Amino acid sequence: MAAPGPGEYFSVGSHVSCLTCLGQRLQGEVVAFDYQSKMLTLKCASSSGKANLNDVILINLAYVSDVDIINDRTETPPPLASLNVSKLANRARTEKEDKLSQAYAISAGVSVEGQQLFQTIHKTIKDCKWQEKNIIVMDDVVISPPYQVDNCKGKEGSALSHVRKIVEKHFRDVESQKSMQRSQAQQTQKDSTLSS
Amino acid sequence: MRMVHVLTSVVGTKCELKVKNGAVYEGVFKTYGPECDLVLDAAHRKSPEPAGGPRKEDIVESIIFKASDVVVVTFKDVDPNFARKDNFTDAAVSGRVNGEHKEKDLEPWDGGETHTSGSLESLDTDVSNGWDPNDMFKYNEEKYAVPLTSVPLERDNSEEFLKREARAAQLAEEIEASSTYKARVALENDERSEEDKYTAVMRGEREAHALSRENKYIPPGQRNREALSWGAGRQNSPRLVQSSAGPPPPRPGAHDYSPSAGADQRVVNGGPSHWPSPCPSPSSRPPSRYQSGASSLPPRAATPTRPPSRPPSRPSRPSSHSSYPSYPSSSSSSAHHGLAPPGSTLPKRMSSEGPPRMSPKSQRTPRAHRVPPCRTSAGVDFMSHNAPGEVPVTQQSRSSSSGGTWSSVVSGVHRPRSPRQNNMGGASPGPASVAAAQAGAAPMEASAPPPVASSPAAATPTPGTGAGKESRVQETRQTSPTANKENIKPLDSTPSITRAVCKGPPSMAQDHRKQIDNLKKFSVDFRLQSSSNAEPAFDQMKPGDKPKDPPLDKASALGQEGGGDEGAAAAPGSAQGPPASAGKPGSPAVSAAAAASSSPAGADQKRPGPDVTSQGVQTTSPSTFTKAEGREEKKEAVHEQVKKSTLNPNAHEFKPRFNAQPKPANTPTPPRPQGQPSPSIVVQQPPAVYSQVCFPQMYPLTPVSPGVQSPAMYHIQMPHMAVSQSKPYRPVPNMPQQRSDQHHPPGTPNMMHPVTAAAPPLVAQNPAYSAQYFTCSPQQFASQPLVQQMPHYQAQAQHVFNPVMQGSARMMAPPTHGQPGMVSSSTTQYAEQTHTMYGRSTPPPNDNSLCWAMSPGPMPQQYPHPNATLHPHPQHPQPSATPTGQGPQGGQHGGPPSHQAASPVQHSQHQQAAALHMANQAPQQQMYSPLAPSNPAMNQGPNPQSPQATFPTGQQTLYLHPQQVPHGYNPNHMAHVQQVSLSLHHPGLPVLTKSQLFAHMQSGMVQSHHGAPGHPPMMLMATQGPGGPQPQMPQNALNPIPVSSTTHFSYLAHPQVQAHHQQQL
Repeated sequence: MAAPGPGEYFSVGSHVSCLTCLGQRLQGEVVAFDYQSKMLTLKCASSSGKANLNDVILINLAYVSDVDIINDRTETPPPLASLNVSKLANRARTEKEDKLSQAYAISAGVSVEGQQLFQTIHKTIKDCKWQEKNIIVMDDVVISPPYQVDNCKGKEGSALSHVRKIVEKHFRDVESQKSMQRSQAQQTQKDSTLSS
Repeated sequence: MRMVHVLTSVVGTKCELKVKNGAVYEGVFKTYGPECDLVLDAAHRKSPEPAGGPRKEDIVESIIFKASDVVVVTFKDVDPNFARKDNFTDAAVSGRVNGEHKEKDLEPWDGGETHTSGSLESLDTDVSNGWDPNDMFKYNEEKYAVPLTSVPLERDNSEEFLKREARAAQLAEEIEASSTYKARVALENDERSEEDKYTAVMRGEREAHALSRENKYIPPGQRNREALSWGAGRQNSPRLVQSSAGPPPPRPGAHDYSPSAGADQRVVNGGPSHWPSPCPSPSSRPPSRYQSGASSLPPRAATPTRPPSRPPSRPSRPSSHSSYPSYPSSSSSSAHHGLAPPGSTLPKRMSSEGPPRMSPKSQRTPRAHRVPPCRTSAGVDFMSHNAPGEVPVTQQSRSSSSGGTWSSVVSGVHRPRSPRQNNMGGASPGPASVAAAQAGAAPMEASAPPPVASSPAAATPTPGTGAGKESRVQETRQTSPTANKENIKPLDSTPSITRAVCKGPPSMAQDHRKQIDNLKKFSVDFRLQSSSNAEPAFDQMKPGDKPKDPPLDKASALGQEGGGDEGAAAAPGSAQGPPASAGKPGSPAVSAAAAASSSPAGADQKRPGPDVTSQGVQTTSPSTFTKAEGREEKKEAVHEQVKKSTLNPNAHEFKPRFNAQPKPANTPTPPRPQGQPSPSIVVQQPPAVYSQVCFPQMYPLTPVSPGVQSPAMYHIQMPHMAVSQSKPYRPVPNMPQQRSDQHHPPGTPNMMHPVTAAAPPLVAQNPAYSAQYFTCSPQQFASQPLVQQMPHYQAQAQHVFNPVMQGSARMMAPPTHGQPGMVSSSTTQYAEQTHTMYGRSTPPPNDNSLCWAMSPGPMPQQYPHPNATLHPHPQHPQPSATPTGQGPQGGQHGGPPSHQAASPVQHSQHQQAAALHMANQAPQQQMYSPLAPSNPAMNQGPNPQSPQATFPTGQQTLYLHPQQVPHGYNPNHMAHVQQVSLSLHHPGLPVLTKSQLFAHMQSGMVQSHHGAPGHPPMMLMATQGPGGPQPQMPQNALNPIPVSSTTHFSYLAHPQVQAHHQQQL
């Protein structure tokens, strides 16, 4: 084991794998380690597969076993960049609001399709919110239940057409997903039958 | 540490947090504690089933998890760079790079040997901006197989083609004739940088020079060289044109269009060898043939369509250019210009002068002008042109031998110079200068007698030498005080001659004599100063002369060709002849210069009888020429002379002015010119001195007032540089015609712009000019427009430099004027003023200082004027309406009208009588002194009563506190005005003084006005703002009683200022 820095048992940049008490295998690059709290932070490849994003895992080593250092890194870690705290605070606030608004919508009885559609639209257009059961996009387009393409109302323009495209694509994807699931289900059934 | 950073960087992201019991909470990571306690906002417990989103009821505002309870926290899809502040720093950017990142190898920059000695010019000079067009074509062809597509136009003689061509030419003509086009071209060709246009910082003349030359900064060490090269280069080399013109590329095309232009180019570039072909065609062919001749030149010219279309345009252009002709002295040079070399220079000049004109059209116009002279009365024009200095020499050589006239000419020129330098030369220079003046005057005579009168000496003796020679002569004079004296004397003698020749201003003669006496005194005084300065000037002059000579030769050749070799030559000869005779009497060819001047005459004489007859005819013909043409020619000549003169920068400026003036001259000129002549005489001497000082570039100025030359003086001198430039302008004012042009809003503004744009320094000079011109009274009208352009600069400069600067500027101005023969008159005025100043001041030790102070005094006045100038444009129209010279001024000022009524008489007096000018000098001094006193200290108030006495004090103070002047301006101005009025009342001051005062005031006003037109008077305005208006009020009150004229001036200036302020507000 390379000599960890003073007060550190894991040198930054090392790759570590460990097993939590819940049986979850975690592996990633050491980003930080806090000796007092025994908290280890790992950076992993994004679970969604996006290259420019990472998953950050905070592990309490008190509940971890089988810590294994895959490879060690002795180089001095890169300097830390200063952070824009206000930007972080804004992100926290908006995320919270989004979640709350979504929760309100859900509690208002919005269908799952509606929620899914909302999530889809929200990925593309951040400026969307729930108004009762209606999805308001950019304060311009209103999508009312059952959230089909024809339900998109608003001032004719690029915004409306754009939203319609999103909605259209969303349901197309949903259909394809369902078909996939069906096929998979069928496959599993076949497999089960075959196996049986 | 790093934990904190990481946790902070993931704030605001959604996370799933597992606790020991296996429960999973999802929420937005809000913050964390020192013990790694985590806070999730809007958290809810995540159910094992993926059932949609959390319900409202499930969400908890925020949950705090103790670190000990947390097993794993997962932040998904976190952007590590989200909150990075330095997203665009090198570290941030490089930090994102994946994998191996290799730094680019740094290569040392090798600037080569071109940028060694602090000469940054090469950077500016390097025209190659990126790819060469050919390289681009080549690259595209190689890489993209895009062939070079340039299909030569197939010309045929089919009707269809000709029709199309004619149509195209017509359209082009229409487009180019449109005001919008001109305006845009002017914008495009306006060399002034944004900074130049709007900067509040006044640049010294040095810088101005640099600006004129492609905005290059010229290291002090190189300035002298450049000046020298300038003189030479400007005349012949395209560089000059480019520098001045700014948009050289377009011009060439224009030149091509007009056959004449082509001819000019040939002359310029081709040199002697080319001449033969071009010259013959014009000479042998009648005007109509021009086109045909043109055909030989460029294809365009050959095309029939264009010629027809253009001819119409030409007339218009000539009119605009007519302003150029206005320069009397320039006329001689203009003739040269008309010929090939001048032409080339002229277009360039034109461009330089007026951005708008810069456009091909503008170029064309010059050409047109040129062409007409050559074609129709080319011989005559040439003759007149030839008459001035250098040309004569060439003619002689030609007459004597067809061979290398050049060498002979050059030698001749040099000789004169050398003599000039020597004391002996002084006499000769005098003649030469006279000749130069005459040259200018000669043309003037032909077109307008008055001009001649303006520069009697010059006009009479050797018109041929041209303004450039004059300037040189003047410089030489400066160098050798004795020479100056001699020159003055010659001038005196010449004046008589000139008078005879010129139709003269006999009345002026007496005044002139007085002035001459004063000048003599000055010369003595100046000697000390001039000695050092003069030499440099000479050096510069020499180069300039040499170059000039060739052009002259060319011009002469052209002239000959144009009107029959003999005829053309004869014409110049004839013109020269009289002058030569005059010059001889004044200072028999003792010095080389004298020889040169005389030589032309001699050459003429030598020429066969036929030549003489032809000359006579030619001379007559010039007179017959429309005034406009003559004026134009003159203008051109002036421009050329200016260019030729070492003062080059000034020359450019002058041109514009000249242009404007010509028109006015037509109407008023005859009478005014006469009056001017007398001033011109005086001017000559002073100009010489001044010119020397000024030309050297600011520094020389110091020499002007040897005694005064304290360090402070030097500082002032810097501003003076500009003034010196202005001096050349002064000559213009002399030309009444020019005034008329100036009044014309359309033409003048353009002119103004060009001048300013082309040569900022010039502008600075202009102020002085304007002032001086104004003094000329009659001329003032015409001069005002020109001056106006200058005023801005002056005003700005003044503001920056303070009053002192202004005063110095005036002083300086005279010298610069000296260069242009035409200018001489104006310069003479200055000189007179200065002389008077000096003469009066000189007696006491303090006098010099006083004189300077005096000059500063005027400066303040000018300041107010600059403000007024801003408004001037609109006002100009009014002036035209007003009969008297004041009218124009008043018009410019707007407020002045009432004043004008009273002033008119005074103006007329000023204009008519040189005496007035003489007197003006004294008055100016007085005026200045009062002003100066006011600036330094209000205490001086009492002094005003005794103008002279006050002056000294004022001057001294001024010296000491040049800076103070600006601040005090308004109040000071008021005080000054009052003082002026007082001075007028004083017995010591002659009536003339009043007029002079008026003139001065006017001049100051005019300058200011001039400044207003083209350039943002922001600076001026600001300065005026504080004191301008108020002072005016008091002045008005005071003025009415004492002298209407003085009051008028003050009024004029102030009213303008006020108006400006209001407008600005």
